[in-house]
Amino acid sequence: MIPILIDGVVQGLQLSLLAVGITLIYGLGGVLNLAHGQFAVTAGIATALLISNGVNVIVASLLGVLAAGVFGLVIDRSLLLAAYRYKGEERLLLGLVLTLGLSFVVDGYLNYRLPNVALTLRLPIPSLSVFGITIRAASVVMSLMAILVFLLLLIFLKGTLLGKAIRSIIQNEVGAELCGIRPARTRTFIVALSAVMAGLAGIAQGLFSSLGTEMGVEFTILALIVAVVGGVRSINGTLVAGILLGIVNAYASYYIGAYLALIILLGTAMLTILIRPSGLLAYWT
Amino acid sequence: MSKRKFSASYVALLLVGLILALVPLATGGSPYYSRITTLMLIYTAYAVAFNMIFGHTKQLFLCLGALAGCSAYLSVVLTRTLALSPWITIPLGILLAGFLGGLFSYVSVRRGLGVIFLGVVTLAFSLIFYNLILGLREYTNGETGIVTKGLGVRILESSWSSYYVFLAVLMLSLLLYHFVMSSRMGVAFRALSDDELTAELAGIDVTSYKVFAAAIGSLLMGIVGSFYAYYNGLISPALFSLVSVDIVVLITLSSGGIGTLLGPVLGGAVVALIDELVRPFGQLNVLVYGALLIVLFAAFRQGLVSVLRKMVKFQIP
Amino acid sequence: MLIRVEGLEVSYAEMPVLRDVSIEAQRSEAVGVIGPNGSGKTTLFKAIVGMVRPKRGKIFYDGTRLDGLGTPDIVRLGIVYVPAERELFPQMTVLENLDLGAYINQKARGELLEFVFSFFPRLKERARQLAGTLSGGEQQMLAIARGLMAKPNVLLLDEPSTGLAPLLVAEMYRQLSRLKKEGLTILLAEQQVPLALSFTERAYVLENGRVKLSGTSKDLLGEPEIKRAYLGVA
Repeated sequence: MIPILIDGVVQGLQLSLLAVGITLIYGLGGVLNLAHGQFAVTAGIATALLISNGVNVIVASLLGVLAAGVFGLVIDRSLLLAAYRYKGEERLLLGLVLTLGLSFVVDGYLNYRLPNVALTLRLPIPSLSVFGITIRAASVVMSLMAILVFLLLLIFLKGTLLGKAIRSIIQNEVGAELCGIRPARTRTFIVALSAVMAGLAGIAQGLFSSLGTEMGVEFTILALIVAVVGGVRSINGTLVAGILLGIVNAYASYYIGAYLALIILLGTAMLTILIRPSGLLAYWT
Repeated sequence: MSKRKFSASYVALLLVGLILALVPLATGGSPYYSRITTLMLIYTAYAVAFNMIFGHTKQLFLCLGALAGCSAYLSVVLTRTLALSPWITIPLGILLAGFLGGLFSYVSVRRGLGVIFLGVVTLAFSLIFYNLILGLREYTNGETGIVTKGLGVRILESSWSSYYVFLAVLMLSLLLYHFVMSSRMGVAFRALSDDELTAELAGIDVTSYKVFAAAIGSLLMGIVGSFYAYYNGLISPALFSLVSVDIVVLITLSSGGIGTLLGPVLGGAVVALIDELVRPFGQLNVLVYGALLIVLFAAFRQGLVSVLRKMVKFQIP
Repeated sequence: MLIRVEGLEVSYAEMPVLRDVSIEAQRSEAVGVIGPNGSGKTTLFKAIVGMVRPKRGKIFYDGTRLDGLGTPDIVRLGIVYVPAERELFPQMTVLENLDLGAYINQKARGELLEFVFSFFPRLKERARQLAGTLSGGEQQMLAIARGLMAKPNVLLLDEPSTGLAPLLVAEMYRQLSRLKKEGLTILLAEQQVPLALSFTERAYVLENGRVKLSGTSKDLLGEPEIKRAYLGVA
């Protein structure tokens, strides 16, 4: 029972890292990023390539995550510009289609050119004993990293002026503009930041098992589910949703099977949209 | 509706029908080209269906493959496990697709869900469908699929009769599209696509029209999908995935011209050509399609029909 | 003229909302824009601050062309709009809302906060309360206060008396007069005509998107049309 719970929480933290990016990009840019999972894959594959060229694991990971961030920045300043030209529903529609296309471009490219590249990271110690329970070292490292990232993110959003400006744009873009805040500039920063967080989730996958070039779409879908259930405009909701859905997924996968577990998650997302589109767990940005 | 536009559409459809009917003669007896041209007809028909759903009402359904697949799988599984005649199971499958499509539209309009949520709901449905097929292995045979040859739809087992069956389906779909668009419903659709709020204020029952468009389009998806499954000789989830159906249809319609009569036809020809060019590169087609989708929607959404209209003096519907 | 609008034409989806509107305001002047609902007052303000794009016409601020600029840039030039919808940040505290109001003015934040709290002491009491939980009148106060935090040169107020008790309204206008003397230009859209005309030096009367009347407030108060339409005097 307990190992599954821990697994679930850890997986959940990873999902949250991914999903928060979707929430931020949607809240600030009004675009639902259907290519988000590809940021994670980019980081992982970049890291794997660097490692295979002799770069130190930690440096490679940092560079990989950075690569994801740069990728995000480039995407915001190029592809998404086409969507930003419009407002509201038009932008949403265009954003959906463009990011869908991007997802396929990355997926197609990686599977065509680098089909056998995968990121697998092995820690020196396989497992640790915490309070008498044996946990995989990978889980511990990942959880600590995720928690640290979230803490930093929360401090940034609540404590700094830029962070508050970002929250204000999510809550009321018109109001933010009336205060002289420029959403466009902040957007690029946020997209890059979201990509970096996704990149971390990708590295985490490499720690847990392995990250392959074909996992981009799966990551995106999981991130979408979590973001929708947690509320596409609520950061706190997304965090909580990630952990909860991670736990649900862990138990469902174990007791019922992977396919049905995914169906349950998808069904939860659909239900959320139908019953409470603002998010089952949405509160407080 | 001016008389001119009426006859322009009929002339166009007649021409298209004639040209397509003569294609098999042009390509000789080659089974390879027979398959390519039949597939072109199939995807063009898919695009007409999507044009119905999305062309004027902007309902972005990201579950086109799943709708076609639901219809096909229901029919095949029922025929296979319950030994029912395909002439019963195929209509059942089609009705299922139409029902689901109409349901998604209805719920989304009722709940005031915008593009984004409809997109996510339909995307989620796509995946639920895919995983259901894989999960209900005993009935669906999972990824390996079920052989549909010999299940009783003889007409779709020969390559040439299949071509003409799909041609008939395509022409009928186009005619249906034309009828709807030139009826009072068509006027309502055009009003909807211009400005939904104004249309609603003008007394147009936005809900009914949107749901109707979605249902009809989904029925069409179901028809083409189930016929395709029998034609293909094998039904598998890969036939109806996002990559196989949704993205191709999006490209077909947007390259041809969203909301036009001939858009799907022109788009279908273009995509068939592109598919041929990309075939030797295997997996690369995913990349090409993704790139095309981006380019089309970012820079070229009006489509070929629009471009041609500017070049020639007469009406292209 | 500090702010000048020339021949402004604004349409929403082919429907004209403003036709050939020209107004102007000087430094330290309070100018009223009055008219019935739908006459275009809000659209005029939104056009000045860049929230809607005019079809035709020019908007000048101290020599700079405003039309075509985005809202954040116009705000940074010193023009602040307090909309009737308020556009607050509901899940942030009063203090945070005010902080963001001073986003472009961080250095003066401390003293501005003091000033604003003396203006609206009720806000000081509720400093740590979430904006979304405030009463209508308090939200109105916060919206105006947030606008003031940007230390504007031109303040566009859209129906600022909504939801405020008359005593508070009087006090608010008293304080705004003080600010006016220190150089603030105020453009005021009000449905409460006598209130608007008593506070402003000049006013424009908008009807159906056109400037129907204009002149000094004193003169307008005496206009028979105004008396009939807005003051209920036969």
